[in-house]
Amino acid sequence: METGNDFLVRMVGIHKWFGRVYALRGVDFEVRRGETVGLIGDNGAGKSTLIKILSGYHQADQGDIYFEGQKVKIRSPRDARNLGIETVYQEQALAPNLSISRNIFMGREPVRRLGIMDKKVMDEESMKALANLGLRLRSPDLPVVTLSGGERQGVAIARALHFKAKLVILDEPTVALSVKEVEEVLEFVRQLQREKVSVVFITHNLYHAFDIAERFVVMARGLKMADVKKEDTSPQGLSELVLKSAFVAV
Amino acid sequence: MQRNAGFLKRFLFARSTSVLLVLILIVIFFAVFSPEHRFVDPDNLRVLLSLGAEFSIIALGVGMLMICGEFDLSIGSILVFCSFVFLKLFELHLPLFLTAVVTVAVGGVLGLVNALITVRGGIPSFITTLGTMMFWRGFTILLSGGEQTACNVSALGTPAASYFLSFFNGQIGGILPAQFFWFALFAVVLGVLLHYHRFGNWVYATGDNRDAARAMGINTDWVKTLCFVIVGALCGFVACAQIGRLACFTSRTGDGWELKAVAASVVGGTSLRGGMGNMLGIFLGATTISVIENGLVVLRIPYFWTYVFFGLVILFSVLSSMYIERKQREMHR
Repeated sequence: METGNDFLVRMVGIHKWFGRVYALRGVDFEVRRGETVGLIGDNGAGKSTLIKILSGYHQADQGDIYFEGQKVKIRSPRDARNLGIETVYQEQALAPNLSISRNIFMGREPVRRLGIMDKKVMDEESMKALANLGLRLRSPDLPVVTLSGGERQGVAIARALHFKAKLVILDEPTVALSVKEVEEVLEFVRQLQREKVSVVFITHNLYHAFDIAERFVVMARGLKMADVKKEDTSPQGLSELVLKSAFVAV
Repeated sequence: MQRNAGFLKRFLFARSTSVLLVLILIVIFFAVFSPEHRFVDPDNLRVLLSLGAEFSIIALGVGMLMICGEFDLSIGSILVFCSFVFLKLFELHLPLFLTAVVTVAVGGVLGLVNALITVRGGIPSFITTLGTMMFWRGFTILLSGGEQTACNVSALGTPAASYFLSFFNGQIGGILPAQFFWFALFAVVLGVLLHYHRFGNWVYATGDNRDAARAMGINTDWVKTLCFVIVGALCGFVACAQIGRLACFTSRTGDGWELKAVAASVVGGTSLRGGMGNMLGIFLGATTISVIENGLVVLRIPYFWTYVFFGLVILFSVLSSMYIERKQREMHR
C-alpha cells in the first residue's frame, strides 16, 4: 500500500451511530489525486452516511479525516467546500425555480459594492463553465426546472468545475435518467477526469460505475467489504461481491 | 415555441402583470360604481394610501419571509405588543424618537423569538407563530386590561412631536401620505435586497431547496432568522405610525392582518411552498388587498362582504398565476 501524500483524502476508522443504529463500524476510505472511485453497495450499506461525513452533513463519532495529508475537521458543508470538496446530490444539488447562473453561484455570488450581485459576471462565467463541459444551454436566466435531468446534473458538475473542486462526490447521479442522459452525465464525469479532479461515484448501477471508475469500494451494513481495482474485476465480479457481502454474517 | 417570444407575450405572461391587471380592473370598478365616484376623491385616496400602507408595509416583510419558506401569523400580535410598548414609554415621557427606536427594536426581538423557536426547535413556523400570535395578543390584553388608552403625540406640542408626526404621518408636498412613502421606500429597499443583493439569492435558495442551499454553504437558519427579524421590525415601525395617526392605543389593532398578509403575498404571485415570488408582485398584491377593503367601504357595501371579495380575488389570483406559470414553462421549452 502506498504511503504519503498521493492521497487526496483519507478517512480512517470512521464510526457513526444514529441513536441505536450503528451506521458505520470503523470504515477506512481513501481517494487518490485524480482518481475515480466507485462506491457501491445496497441500500442502507452506509455509503451515503460515509459521504455525508466527508461533505460536512454529519460528523463522525470516531475516526479521523486527512485532506492533502493534513488532519482536518469538517463541521459543515461550508468547511467541505472550503477544502475543495463538492457534492452533487441527486435531488439536493439545485434550486429548481432559480436561474442557472443563480444556481451556479449559489452561496458564492460575485459581488460589487455593498453585496450587490454582479449579474454580468455570473451570466458570462456560467455560460463559460457549461460550455467547458460541452453543454450548450440557451440562456443563463432559464430556471433549472425547465432543463432535462442530464442537463441539471451538468449544471451541478459545471459548478464544481468552476470553483476548482479537488474532489467531486456524485451521489446517484444517474438515477431516474434516460439512457441518453446517463451517457451525457458519464461524459461530464470524463471531463472531470480529464481535468484531474478526483471523483467519488456512488451508485446502485454497477455498469454505470464500471464504465468510469478505476477502483471500487463495496460496502454492506456499515462495513467496507471489498476494495478492488478495475483490472482485477468485472461487472459480474462486482455484482457477486455486492450480493455476497450483503449476506455475510458480521 | 420561439426563442424570443414577443415582448407583448412576455409582458402578458409575467406574473406581476396579471396582478397589475387585476388591480387596475378593481380600481376602475370602484371608481365607476362608488356613489358620486367617491373612490377617486382625493380625500378617499389619501385615506386609502395612509391606512392601507400601514398593513402593506408589514405584508412586504411577510412576502419575503414566505419566499424563504416560512410564515408569520403573529404580525398582528407583534404590532399590538409594540403599540403597547410605545404607549408605556410615551407615558414615561421618554424622548419620542428613542421611544420609536425602542419600539422597532422590540418588534425585531419578537421576530427573533419566532425565528429561534422555529429554527432551533425545528418547529414549522406556521405552528410557532400561531402560538406567539395568541401569546403576544393575550399578554398585551392582560397588561392593558383590554382598554383603549389615549396616546396623543400631537398634544405634547414640542418640536420633537411635530417632527415625529411629519416623519410617520405627514404629507409629502402636502399630498402624498408619509405612510405610503414609507411603503414604497421599503418595497424598493427590500426589492433591491431580494433581487440584486446576494442575500436575496440566499432567501430564494433557502425557500426553493433548503438542502441545496445548505450544501452550497448558505447558513439557511441565519437567512430565515434575518427575515423574521425584518418582519418584526416592520411591525414595530408600523406601530409607531399607527399610534401617531390614531392618537390612542387599542388592543384590537392588527387583528386579522396575518391572513390578509398571506393573501397579499399569494395574490402577488408568491408560492406557499417558498422559493417563488417577487417584490413588485407583493407590493401590488398588498395594494390590491388595501384597495378592496377601502373600495367596499366607499361602495357602502356592508363590511361583512369584505371577506367574500377577498376570497374571490385570492382564488382568482392563484388560479391565474398557476396558469401563467404553466404557460411560462411552455415558453421556455
